[in-house]
Amino acid sequence: MSIASLYVDRQVADLPETRRICSRLGMPAAYVENAEQLYADLAAAEDPVGSGKKRLFLTRNKGAFLKECPGTRHYTCCGYRILHIGSYCIMDCSYCILQAYFHPPLLQYYVNHEELFRELERCFGARGIQRIGTGEFTDSLIWEPWTELSRTLAMRFARQDRAVLELKTKTANIDGLLDLAHRQKTILAWSLNTERVIHSEERGTASLGARLRAAARSAEAGFPVAFHFDPVLIYEGGEAEYRQVVDRLFDAVAAERIVWISLGAFRFMPDLKAVIRKRFPGSTIIYGEFIAGLDGKARYFKPLRMQALRSLAQAIRRRSPTTCVYLCMEDDEVWRHALDVTPAERGGLARMLDEAAVKHCGLQAEAGGR
Amino acid sequence: MASDDGRLEERPRVVRLRQIDPANDSFRITTRHRDERLELSLERIGLLTPPLVVSAADGLAIVSGFRRVEACRRLGWETIPARVLSEHTPAYACALRAVAENALARPLNLIETSRALTLLEQHAPGGRLPPGDAAALGLPAHAGLAAKLKPLCRMPPEVQEAVLEETVSFAMAGELGGMPAAAAAAFARLFRRLKTSLNKQREIVTLVVEIAAREGIDPCAVLGDPALAGIQGGEELDRNEQTRRIRRRLRQRRFPALLAAEEAFQALRRRLKLGDNLQLSPPRDFEGARFTLSLSFENLEELRSLRDKLDELAGHPDLHRLLTGKGTGFAGAPEP
Repeated sequence: MSIASLYVDRQVADLPETRRICSRLGMPAAYVENAEQLYADLAAAEDPVGSGKKRLFLTRNKGAFLKECPGTRHYTCCGYRILHIGSYCIMDCSYCILQAYFHPPLLQYYVNHEELFRELERCFGARGIQRIGTGEFTDSLIWEPWTELSRTLAMRFARQDRAVLELKTKTANIDGLLDLAHRQKTILAWSLNTERVIHSEERGTASLGARLRAAARSAEAGFPVAFHFDPVLIYEGGEAEYRQVVDRLFDAVAAERIVWISLGAFRFMPDLKAVIRKRFPGSTIIYGEFIAGLDGKARYFKPLRMQALRSLAQAIRRRSPTTCVYLCMEDDEVWRHALDVTPAERGGLARMLDEAAVKHCGLQAEAGGR
Repeated sequence: MASDDGRLEERPRVVRLRQIDPANDSFRITTRHRDERLELSLERIGLLTPPLVVSAADGLAIVSGFRRVEACRRLGWETIPARVLSEHTPAYACALRAVAENALARPLNLIETSRALTLLEQHAPGGRLPPGDAAALGLPAHAGLAAKLKPLCRMPPEVQEAVLEETVSFAMAGELGGMPAAAAAAFARLFRRLKTSLNKQREIVTLVVEIAAREGIDPCAVLGDPALAGIQGGEELDRNEQTRRIRRRLRQRRFPALLAAEEAFQALRRRLKLGDNLQLSPPRDFEGARFTLSLSFENLEELRSLRDKLDELAGHPDLHRLLTGKGTGFAGAPEP
């Protein structure tokens, strides 16, 4: 999917990053005095969710760049910190929660990078290990054709030893990063799914093969890599297909380069159901056996997701018994069944991941941190 | 509403019934059918209000008075007095009269309102019904409500009949309106039989539509499940019981693992023989970790008895299975 319209917040029109992006996009920009009007125009479009993917708005982040991951108390969260570089995505995955998260969803990129870097420097000065990622409200690497932010961030992270940056993507846009002296402080991470799911549900994303080739090249370039099986979908024949993906993953990438692998069963806010039904009428993913989770999101009936996650975890363990595998937003009962351990038995999920980051990224653990 | 000061309308004159085209329903608003009392009244008292007709190329078309004309015909009359509009009368003027003569004489039902709005919009200048005209006729002027009402009269007859007899609400009709006609008609037939509440209708529609979408089949095929037909054919079952069983059957098909776990849980719980004063509930949909046990008692003696029962329960192997089997859906539980 390509950008059809470029909008520039008048207040950031003269920032260097704005000029660079406009120049690279090579398209006329509409200057925006009042963002509310832009949102209203988008909301009035026939398909605001789809239309928002083609309209890029360059603006400034008026809030904090660093945010806590929006976990809930009912399920165990990884304690990841989000670096909010922009929002939404040009790819079009049926299950994407961002479709219902922003009102209306609009491709926004924040160009006030001086403030971003100041905030990061403060974070680098804090005690304890920090795991920071840009792939929560957007895909980390869709911006590569127009910006050099990932490269700049990787260089900044390379200068310190307390924080690690995770760039999470469904693209293969790594060419601009491979020559960096990254000092293992940037983890390149891929969201993985089965060929069937990628083909039917992940429009505009890189193929599984392309993702794995990009991961292999990244690992060869010395980057720590990570993988996220999220969302895991439950369907007939799915367990075998996910096992095949695991085999292809370990055939492509040496286990010792993998910092962690996360597993997350498909879950969604109730509002997303109507969006998927309307935008992806051929998709059947919302017709699984979902119940209302304790956090209000629809989740697969627990025994079903426990079985699916256990099957996937066992496939990973068979190929690499020591790779850090964790569950995204699950409770102790699911952890116990899928992984034979609870986070508390390992000192908590945050600690498990901190230790993996220390081991693979050369971070300097500090007593009393976090 | 444009006034013509009555210039378009001629004085009543006698017309031959065979001049009036019985098949021309263009201006029909009423949903009411044959009424023998009307025939009796015509026979005894005569035609008090002449129907309104309009001259057409091949005779006369009824604008208002469909039931009166039909009753006269049934009585074998050959001529009737009628008010005749000239053939130059604009169709919108005819539509306004058709609606006015119905709407101002009695409250229109939902289907009639839908017909009225559709008829007026069809003939209104520019295809848009002036809000002032709608208000003058007592029709909904709110564009959103009118937009929801208009499709009603184009829905399958089964849906319209269900709306008229109030076994399908306006809200449910709107939902059925978005479906293929065959599916909408099948739901309407089911709801007319079950006469169940809107919430239960919604549950049934959601289950059927989602099963159909998941299995890649037509909703009619889901409704045609022989098990559902068997439940509806059960003469010994009252409507409430039929509704309950149909919902359960659909839930079993939509959520097979969840329903199997519920049944296994209930079977295990029955084996605990809790009695009337102890209730054990699982976490909702078996998602959370906490079970709930509630006690009811009137006096200390009952409380002591419950305490003994709790001690006994704590060591019961089936309670252990209940507490530990949640993750597997209580696999291996006794047959329900």
